[in-house]
Amino acid sequence: MNQNTVLTQQKGAAFWKKNRLSIIAIAVLCVAAAVMLRTRYLAMILDFICIYTIAVTGLDLLFGYTGQVSFGQAGFYAIGAYTSALLSKNLGVPPILSIFIGALLATVFGVIIAFPASKLVKHFLSLLTIAFGLMVYTFVNSCSALTGGPSGITGIPKVSIFGLELGSYQSYFWLVAILMVLVLITKKNIINSRVGRAFIAVRENPHAAAGMGINVAKYKIMAFAISAFAAGLAGALYAHMIRFISPDTFTKDQSNMFMTMLLFGGIATMSGSVIGAAAITVMTELLQQFAAYQTLIYAVLILIVLFLLPNGTVGLFSKLKAAVRKRGQKRKPGKEGTPQ
Amino acid sequence: MLTLIIGALMQGSVYGLVGMGYGLIYKASGLMSLAQGDMLMIGAFLGMTFYKTLHLPFALSLLLVMVIMFTVGWLLERVLVTSLLAKGAQQVYVILCTIAISMVLQNVAMFAWGSNTMQFPPILNFSINLFGTTVEADRLLVLAVGILFMLLLHFFMQKTRFGTAMRAAAQDETAASALGINVPMTKGVAWGLASMLAGVAGVILGPSYGVYTAMGALIGQKAFAGAVTGGYGNMYGAIVGGLFLGFVEAFCAFYISSLYKDFFAFGILIIVMIFMPNGLFKEQVME
Repeated sequence: MNQNTVLTQQKGAAFWKKNRLSIIAIAVLCVAAAVMLRTRYLAMILDFICIYTIAVTGLDLLFGYTGQVSFGQAGFYAIGAYTSALLSKNLGVPPILSIFIGALLATVFGVIIAFPASKLVKHFLSLLTIAFGLMVYTFVNSCSALTGGPSGITGIPKVSIFGLELGSYQSYFWLVAILMVLVLITKKNIINSRVGRAFIAVRENPHAAAGMGINVAKYKIMAFAISAFAAGLAGALYAHMIRFISPDTFTKDQSNMFMTMLLFGGIATMSGSVIGAAAITVMTELLQQFAAYQTLIYAVLILIVLFLLPNGTVGLFSKLKAAVRKRGQKRKPGKEGTPQ
Repeated sequence: MLTLIIGALMQGSVYGLVGMGYGLIYKASGLMSLAQGDMLMIGAFLGMTFYKTLHLPFALSLLLVMVIMFTVGWLLERVLVTSLLAKGAQQVYVILCTIAISMVLQNVAMFAWGSNTMQFPPILNFSINLFGTTVEADRLLVLAVGILFMLLLHFFMQKTRFGTAMRAAAQDETAASALGINVPMTKGVAWGLASMLAGVAGVILGPSYGVYTAMGALIGQKAFAGAVTGGYGNMYGAIVGGLFLGFVEAFCAFYISSLYKDFFAFGILIIVMIFMPNGLFKEQVME
């Protein structure tokens, strides 16, 4: 009995030592979120961070882990948003249900796109996804009968769960935050599973992966489907948060923004997509007066990441951590050496 | 009907010119630039500045644009792409880099020339009566210049020493450099030529299109669609594919709806990628 408590204590200490940085970071984030939730504007930014994190997490599974590029995430984002908005507004489907229908429809499109994409080499894949994004954009922009054309859809219903209406940005935060955490947990589980290891094998060397008995096309399609689901979910959440959507939101700048967030945060990491989404969202808000040059900011960030920070912000952190640890190790022997 | 065909030919030869640039880059370096469309836009703005603001003769303006665009493309390859590849970056990162460059170019153009659509004064200010329909001479000029540059590029690649060297380097880098061909040079020149072609397309398209910062993005992507349809990496494929796309677009706009012409253009790209990814000229794109 006593031994057991000691053991759990030791386990707890080991867990603390191993994960202390993440635990501290999460605690700080919770406090920051609690403070930010008191203001409507800051709560909106928080909501955006959660929504973008969901989309970027999906993209990370596709690009970071499976090595398949997509510059058309805005297309899935649009499908999710428009499906959910139209279903809930015109057919009276409860938004909480229509959000998931939107995400599922995006997944279906993801699979359709993935079939040819799983066979193409990288540049053609980039272009196929760009073309897909543009097709969705042109469709929502021109099919006025269904999507309202350039003027978009207004008066999208609010989300309500068990009679509880999430009308304000503050209350909406709980929905998007819970979904974000669920998506992140799912991502962690996928990565640590057979599927995740297959993704990484496909990224590192598709031929070797195929040689090991991995069905490369199947996993590529799966990665596409997951990323499309995440983007569709994010789009649907966006639609019910702002309660107005128009084609302007779903241009290729949006796809590039997701890519910038992912690269800036760091690919193939757990925290990268969160950090990237948060950093770029905050940066965009801070530089609001230069909104006309927004794409320039993305471009400069992409170039900085490409040339200076190949592993994004997360890579920078781990470099710093390694440097600090190195210095600590250097100092320790000296301290212990003197008393003798 | 004739206007429709001439419009299609005009649009198609522009796609062909830009698409040949994609082919050149792909053949020479195995890479892809998504900044081609914005090179077209910069070319159009430069041409407008020389021709309209500085009142230079048209031929001189075109020549200056060609020289400048060649340098821009060459520098892009020599400075950014090469150093990126030297870091061991994957090809996807080069594509990302060119996307970033295209955003930078758009912003530079917006900064330098403003975000309004500008009027490019007509080059040949008269109309021609062709089989009973009047056609603006500028539209025919686009076609003529397009064909001229396609022929010039063909002769450059087939008949000159440097063109032969470029083709050799594209076929086998190691063997070519063993024979004393400066392979990095051929790559730089290919990127330079590609952006030069795009610049030329921009200048001649200016009068009938108007000049604005976003003009290049869509043309660039459609030229890509044309290049893929024809067989990516094949110069002649790019011309045929570009013309094909020009016709599809013009006839879609006329018979179905001009709202959906972009939708059909990209739909063709996706269909081609699904059913015949090697294009009309059978280029290898699968892994």
